[in-house]
Amino acid sequence: MAASSSALVRTVADRKRNLRRNFTGYLFVLPALVVYCAFVVYPTIYTLALSFFRWTGMTPQWGPFVGLGNFAATIADPVFWTSIRNNVQFVLVRTPVEVGCALVLAVLLSTAMRGWRLWRTLLFVPVVLSLVAVGLVFERLFEASTGVLNVFLNAVRLGFLAQQWLGDPDVALWSVTAVSIWKNIGFSMVILLAGLQSLSKEVLEAAKVDGAREVQVTLYVIIPMLRPVIAIATVLSVISGLKVFDLIFIMTQGGPLYSTEVPMTLLYRYAFTFNVMGQAAAVVVLQAIVIMIVSWLQLRFVRGEVG
Amino acid sequence: MMATEALAGAQAGRARADKLRKLASQVPRWGVVIFFLVISLFPAVYMVLVSLMTTQTLFEARLFPWPLRWQNFVEAWVSAKIGILYWNSFYISTVSVILTLVVCAPAGYGLARVEFLGRGLLFNFFLLGLTLPVSTSLLPLFFNLKALGLMNTPFALIGPYTGFGISFGIFILKGFFETLPRELEEAARVDGASEFRIFLQVMLPLTRPAVATVSIFLFLTNWNEFIFALTFITEPLRRTLPTGIYSLSGQEFYGNYPTLAAALVVFSIPIIVLYFIFQSQFIEGLTAGAVKQ
Repeated sequence: MAASSSALVRTVADRKRNLRRNFTGYLFVLPALVVYCAFVVYPTIYTLALSFFRWTGMTPQWGPFVGLGNFAATIADPVFWTSIRNNVQFVLVRTPVEVGCALVLAVLLSTAMRGWRLWRTLLFVPVVLSLVAVGLVFERLFEASTGVLNVFLNAVRLGFLAQQWLGDPDVALWSVTAVSIWKNIGFSMVILLAGLQSLSKEVLEAAKVDGAREVQVTLYVIIPMLRPVIAIATVLSVISGLKVFDLIFIMTQGGPLYSTEVPMTLLYRYAFTFNVMGQAAAVVVLQAIVIMIVSWLQLRFVRGEVG
Repeated sequence: MMATEALAGAQAGRARADKLRKLASQVPRWGVVIFFLVISLFPAVYMVLVSLMTTQTLFEARLFPWPLRWQNFVEAWVSAKIGILYWNSFYISTVSVILTLVVCAPAGYGLARVEFLGRGLLFNFFLLGLTLPVSTSLLPLFFNLKALGLMNTPFALIGPYTGFGISFGIFILKGFFETLPRELEEAARVDGASEFRIFLQVMLPLTRPAVATVSIFLFLTNWNEFIFALTFITEPLRRTLPTGIYSLSGQEFYGNYPTLAAALVVFSIPIIVLYFIFQSQFIEGLTAGAVKQ
């Protein structure tokens, strides 16, 4: 009798303490939650909802509900498919070149290269520079008649390679892709370097003692062990490639002749040139779905193979 | 005797040859690294060179500016009013970072240390923001800011920057709080300190490294942010540096590339200086979540 009443007292006290702990926990999280909901969660839901309505953005109220009409209109727009094709090409060219160069640099720097920290620091500089600075400087370098690139090509008698780097619809996307690769190699390199440093030294030493030559060690020992990190670098590069906007908006605005149009620049055009807000929202929704799928893949890589 | 000497000589010769071969094998390696170094640094260096050129030197496609035209910087700062944009950028970036930290520090602590119902779920909910592209918020924020008459005010950027910094801030700070030893708070709790006092006086002062990583990463992000600033600020003098310089590039700076380059140099300097001082925090911040998570 006495024992059960004290047990009762204990559970009541426990529950009270639990309640208090829950309350304290929510109190700690509340301010962040409010701001996060106001600027990230609520707008995302708003966009999702807007993608089902027709709206010019000029009236206070949204227009009529159109179901999947905005998605249908977007899919029927040939420019949308151009933008998808451009973005896919952008990612398919950028990611392998970026991660490949980064891998070469990371392996070179990590295998006993004198002063590797300094080289890493310098190779990472493009990553911290603003895309506005990068875009405008490259625009100047690419300028057709007085830009340094073409002047240099002419000077070394490679004039036949000179191009209208940003003015020719067949070339512009390649030029923008090249700049994006230049900007991101350092980022992938640093991720791969971190992965290389986590490999055990013994394995590498053992491989060397066996008389394996460095190139073989790299190809048959280091790279297979690094595969999970290479996968992460690849997925991160794909995700940021799917979000590309700043660089293209600054350098070409999607032109010439839509040759560098990507979904992000198209949604900007839909929203602020053509005033079809529902369609712009539909592009956002499609883009977000693709990015979520790729991010989910990333999480599987990270959880399944590394951690 | 002779034989041993000859042998020693041969060995020395082989050692030297080995050394030479090793050196020779280093050549392609250095070649590759130097090639990438030159490519990586050339555009930034070129930007600085152009910022000191006359337009004529520029159009002759010469690399080295002579005579040096420091006047470009004066023109960028004074006549293009870069000074005002500078202040806008500085103010908006800094206030946003501080606000993000103010809400993320307690949230990170709560999620790491207070065992309340549903905290795992909440943490994942916050992490969702790391993968959402900013485009998901672009239109709603634009229309709501417009409806509230907040376009072209600092709040139009401070709010979104603070909000979009939260996922990252909580991710880093929660992870850091988890690494701190439990004994500290146990001792304080035995002394009868409340949860809030434990957080403020015991735990918070220990988080300096994590706070540094978060502040530096978010400052860089805010300083360089483009699409929100482009959309929510349309008055020239209320712009931040990236969109301000971008829109000037088609107006005041049109055809006056050296002044534009000077503006870009002035814009990039704080980030470059911060980067060289806080390299490890920069690299950690930019790659966090990639390798850990």
